[in-house]
Amino acid sequence: MHILIVEDDPVIADHILTGLHQHGHDATLARSGIEALAAFEPSAHDAIVLDRLLPDADGLAILDRLRSKGSTVPVLVLSALGSVNDRIEGLDVGADDYLTKPFDIDELAARLAAIARRNQPRPEGALIEVGRLQLDPASHRASFRDAALVLNRKQYSLLAHLMCNADRLVTRSMLLERVWAYSFSPTTNIVESNISRLRATLLDLGCDPIETQRGAGYILRSDRCV
Amino acid sequence: MRLTPRLAAPRGGVGRLAIQVGIAFALAMAAVGMIAFSAADAWVSSRIDASLRHHTAKYLAPLDGHLVTDVELVERIGDWQRRKVLSERTYLLFDRQGRRLAGRLDLAPPAPGLSDVRFYGGGRASQTGRALATRTPDGSLLVIVQHSEAAENLHALLPSVVLLISLVAVIMGVTATLLFARLTANRLLETQSAADAIAAGDLSRRIPTDRLDGMFAVQAHSLNRMLDRMEELVSAQQLFSSNLAHELRTPLTRLRTLLAQGDSGRPVPLERAERECAAIIAIFDALLRLAEIETGRLPRVMAPLSLRPLLEDVADTMEPVLADHGGRLEVGRLDDVTITGDADLLNQLLVNLLENVATHTPAGTSARLSLERDEAGALITIRDDGPGLGPGDHHRLLRPFERGAAAGDVRGSGLGLAIAQAIVRFHRGRLDLGDAAPGLEVRVQIPANDPLSAVVPAGPAAA
Repeated sequence: MHILIVEDDPVIADHILTGLHQHGHDATLARSGIEALAAFEPSAHDAIVLDRLLPDADGLAILDRLRSKGSTVPVLVLSALGSVNDRIEGLDVGADDYLTKPFDIDELAARLAAIARRNQPRPEGALIEVGRLQLDPASHRASFRDAALVLNRKQYSLLAHLMCNADRLVTRSMLLERVWAYSFSPTTNIVESNISRLRATLLDLGCDPIETQRGAGYILRSDRCV
Repeated sequence: MRLTPRLAAPRGGVGRLAIQVGIAFALAMAAVGMIAFSAADAWVSSRIDASLRHHTAKYLAPLDGHLVTDVELVERIGDWQRRKVLSERTYLLFDRQGRRLAGRLDLAPPAPGLSDVRFYGGGRASQTGRALATRTPDGSLLVIVQHSEAAENLHALLPSVVLLISLVAVIMGVTATLLFARLTANRLLETQSAADAIAAGDLSRRIPTDRLDGMFAVQAHSLNRMLDRMEELVSAQQLFSSNLAHELRTPLTRLRTLLAQGDSGRPVPLERAERECAAIIAIFDALLRLAEIETGRLPRVMAPLSLRPLLEDVADTMEPVLADHGGRLEVGRLDDVTITGDADLLNQLLVNLLENVATHTPAGTSARLSLERDEAGALITIRDDGPGLGPGDHHRLLRPFERGAAAGDVRGSGLGLAIAQAIVRFHRGRLDLGDAAPGLEVRVQIPANDPLSAVVPAGPAAA
């Protein structure tokens, strides 16, 4: 992917550039709002990482300009302003994701990958399938080959989210946001505990598709569902 | 803290106030003087008119059963002129043609009825008088004129009296105001010097109230109460800041030690350094969240909320966490209760309280979650079978950065219960820690917050 980074702090900018290169992405740097508007090319950039407190503007004003010009480029706002209000403001202006500083580079890469390959909206109530692993939204029934069992609500939502993002890294904080809709950071390993419970349940079905990426998150591997 | 340049305190004079009050008083007195004067004037005039009517009636009264004739009237007037010694009244009789038949005043015949007349009498300058002209039975005109020195003098007095009254009133008004202001200033002096001392940093200073009475005492008491509360808040804030500094010092010291290993050539244990950073970030996250809740800056999504599904959801989430801790999470009685609240905050509250069980109790501790409906709203109870708290801990632990004795080396933000407390206060409820013998019982009462009466609280609820 080719990503436009809008960030005025040289240390953070360097960290992002290096990190994204390691994840196999190209990145261009803009140090101010004006530079960003000048550097952005709809055909060249697959996503934008946008800081808010820029020397010449609030990043959200830049985003607003882009959106009002009709651009639909995926934008991730990366900011030290992390209150619930700030997030809502960002998403209202048209950000696809909002990540608060300090951040982890793997987290940033995972979120960029998620917003750059937006999922097609899934028809309501349709069966979710990855390989031979199936999940029925109506009955919360998971089945693999000949075995089947019913999941509780949390395990169902967790598995559904991982299956919809099969073969992609999903981080803990992404799961907390999207499966639990929590705006706070828990102090215990809520995600780990629930994932290991889910894995134990799936093992009962004879399927173990969830892989833990140490320190980063989880990937549901489609090749393990056959 | 905002520093304002210290201006010279304005002298406690009364300035324009005294003049303004003096003038207002003078105007009022002048008005009173004029009203009194016109009343007196009206009274005198009415007495004169009454006297004129009286004498006219007396002269025209029938004599021995027949109406009085002009001849008799001329006789009577002549008789009166002979007898009078000193009088301010005089009688005139004019025939139909306006010729004077009797009387000695040089006056043109006035129209019948009461009128003011001007005449020359006794060689003096023109004088004014009140006249009553009445037709006699013979068709002539009887005129009685009364010249009142008193009424005239009264009129002449008017301007000087009003002026004098106003002058006295100005002096009295200004004096009274100055005196009153001085007395007020003396009473306010104590308040002022207390305020100056507080501004200079002495928060323990209070306004002495022993020499004050009335509204001054009431005001001083209420100011003192405000100062008590402010002092409390400031010292709580100071304690909070110093606790925060201590709280950050530990992970920062560890972090520095880890980094220093790199200097001495040994490899830096990056994962541990990362953990210390995470601890610092967690403290800040919790602090910001606490501030967000307490200052009411969260976008409010207060909506009718069915608590039962919310609790079931949290129980599903936290059950694996407690299981990993070696215990169990049991769900007890769950009533159907609907309140008006913020789902995100209530999720955090319940997750927070259950996380406390998972992090601050020995492995294997189980918890039980229940929800009851009571008259006021909802009662949520979380009871564990751990070792519980020491007797003094129940209240202390609700304060920021306080930890239970059993916490040992478990590191949290130290703000968990403070945040829980803030969330409960936000919903105008109460949170109590109790002894479950064994174990700890946390009771959270949340009123129904009926949407009709629900006003979104703007700030932290009063403690």
